[in-house]
Amino acid sequence: MINNIKCIIDARNIDKIYKNGAEELKVLDDVTLKVWQGDFTAILGPSGSGKSTLMNILGCLDLPTSGQYNLDDLDVLTAGENQLATIRNQKIGFVFQKFNLLPRLNAVQNVMLPLLYRGVDEDEARETAREKLTVLGLDDRLNHRPNELSGGQQQRVAIARAIVGSPNLVLADEPTGNLDSKSSRDAINIFKELNRHGHTIVIITHDAEVAEQVDKVFYIRDGKINETGG
Amino acid sequence: MKLKQLFKLVLVNIYQNKVRTFLTTLGVIVGTATIFLVVAIGTGGEAQVNEQYSRLSVGTIMVMPAQRGRVVDPLTIKDADMFAQSEHIAHAFPVLQGNGDINYYNFSTRGGFSAIPPGFQSSNNLTMQYGRILEEDDESKRHKYAVLGAELANTLTDGDPAAIVGEKITINRRQFQVVGVYNRIGDAGSGMGYDDSAFIPYTVGEKYLLGTRANPVITVQAADLQAVQPAMDYITNILNETHRAGGAEQFRLMDAGSRLVAAQESARTMSLLLLAVAVVVLVVSGIGIMNVMFVTVKERTREIGTLKAIGAKKREILGQFLIEAVVISLVGGMLGVLIGFFTVPLLKYFELPALPSISGVLLGLMFSVATGVFFGFYPAWKAAELNPIDALRYE
Repeated sequence: MINNIKCIIDARNIDKIYKNGAEELKVLDDVTLKVWQGDFTAILGPSGSGKSTLMNILGCLDLPTSGQYNLDDLDVLTAGENQLATIRNQKIGFVFQKFNLLPRLNAVQNVMLPLLYRGVDEDEARETAREKLTVLGLDDRLNHRPNELSGGQQQRVAIARAIVGSPNLVLADEPTGNLDSKSSRDAINIFKELNRHGHTIVIITHDAEVAEQVDKVFYIRDGKINETGG
Repeated sequence: MKLKQLFKLVLVNIYQNKVRTFLTTLGVIVGTATIFLVVAIGTGGEAQVNEQYSRLSVGTIMVMPAQRGRVVDPLTIKDADMFAQSEHIAHAFPVLQGNGDINYYNFSTRGGFSAIPPGFQSSNNLTMQYGRILEEDDESKRHKYAVLGAELANTLTDGDPAAIVGEKITINRRQFQVVGVYNRIGDAGSGMGYDDSAFIPYTVGEKYLLGTRANPVITVQAADLQAVQPAMDYITNILNETHRAGGAEQFRLMDAGSRLVAAQESARTMSLLLLAVAVVVLVVSGIGIMNVMFVTVKERTREIGTLKAIGAKKREILGQFLIEAVVISLVGGMLGVLIGFFTVPLLKYFELPALPSISGVLLGLMFSVATGVFFGFYPAWKAAELNPIDALRYE
């Protein structure tokens, strides 16, 4: 059975060391983790545990000091800057704590962006963006700008942007951190629903309640990871 | 991302920052308008100079007394004949000029007259409207004949110049018979006002009209442009020999070519000066653009991080901000050119010759775009170089 499922994240012995003058700070210490296609996973840890650093590395925004990282069978560590951009564009969908929508673009334009960076035709991109927004219940907010939307709605736009390009991995960084409890529940339900439709989802959070909702949790503390649950 | 999409993204950003964009463009507007006007004034000035000198052959040298008023040792027709013997000189004609009352029946006007050798007419492009030119015969036989400039004939006949041919007129109460009327020639730039003059045979003017007051100017035509300087040297030598008393210093030599060149030079110097001002304005406005772009990049740091996270490549970020700077400056440039167009009539009001031209438009726009590219590049490059993690974390 396992042989038939693709390994999306295959990170081995990852170290990340920050140098501050003579002082060395080991933020990640021999982290090894695997995420399989269709997994609904959380990386749970308190602030300062190194989870943001881990998320940056998993999201190909940063490179580890040492170790091995394959994303969907692609060796990330040998990729150049442009290749990393392409990997982020095609294989990863980011959901940020602060939504990070472009304030001057409306919902559809925001969601279209990853496709446009991929070189997809404008009309096709707009159509796909509309579809995703409609699926997420925002069909009456298509032309609203972020400041005309509630926090929950903004996060749904951000989620639509993350999945519009059908990435192999949806990486959500504290997706409920800026939401009230109802919107948080909604957001988690959306992730569950996306997972049911085959999306591989990794949520980085410090919130144990969120972690309870997922299938598998990696605990991170002081840069070390240990696997429980599942 | 396709270039078209990048443009759209830029336009959305600019459109939603209209006021700031406008304030940023102010300097570019002024700079481009200045460049446009500089070119317009330059073109206008040059056109004016060329217009003034168009009828004056560049090989023409005028030999005249250095001081106005009574001349002890005037030039003579013999001087002209000696000048003409030089290989550097095509021909040399003495011209006597004077002012006087010119009467025809009861029409009277105060006008100029010129006493000329017959060859003067063809070399000065004087052609006939009516009647005939002054001929060798008129000169040698001292005929008291006159040919009138078109304007003078018009004035005397109240608009019927043909009627005056064959009639008698008086110049300073001396009688002449009109044998012809020249075609209009316009201002020849020599200050001789041909159209308003009456022309009579040289010797007649010298003996009959002016007498001892005869004080000719000699118009010399150099063989070609290269011959102007040797011709002037030659003339100076002759004058030193024939007018031993005062030497060549009592005469002034003026050549049309160097006058034209000097006039063109001064027009060009003026243009260059204004152009320098315009460039300074544009540089200052460019620094303004750079400032605003830096602020913009700073403000949008997190946005840039987001764009990088969702797959924007360096060159796409660079392109976006560079295009933004260029579009801002180009908009300013176009407004500047527009304002320039409206300012040209205003300059005419101040009697500054200004001609709007395509090259002015192009130069203005080119400079504005160059300003955008040059001063927009560094901020755009800074934006492209942002580390996505730091950019995402930026508050």
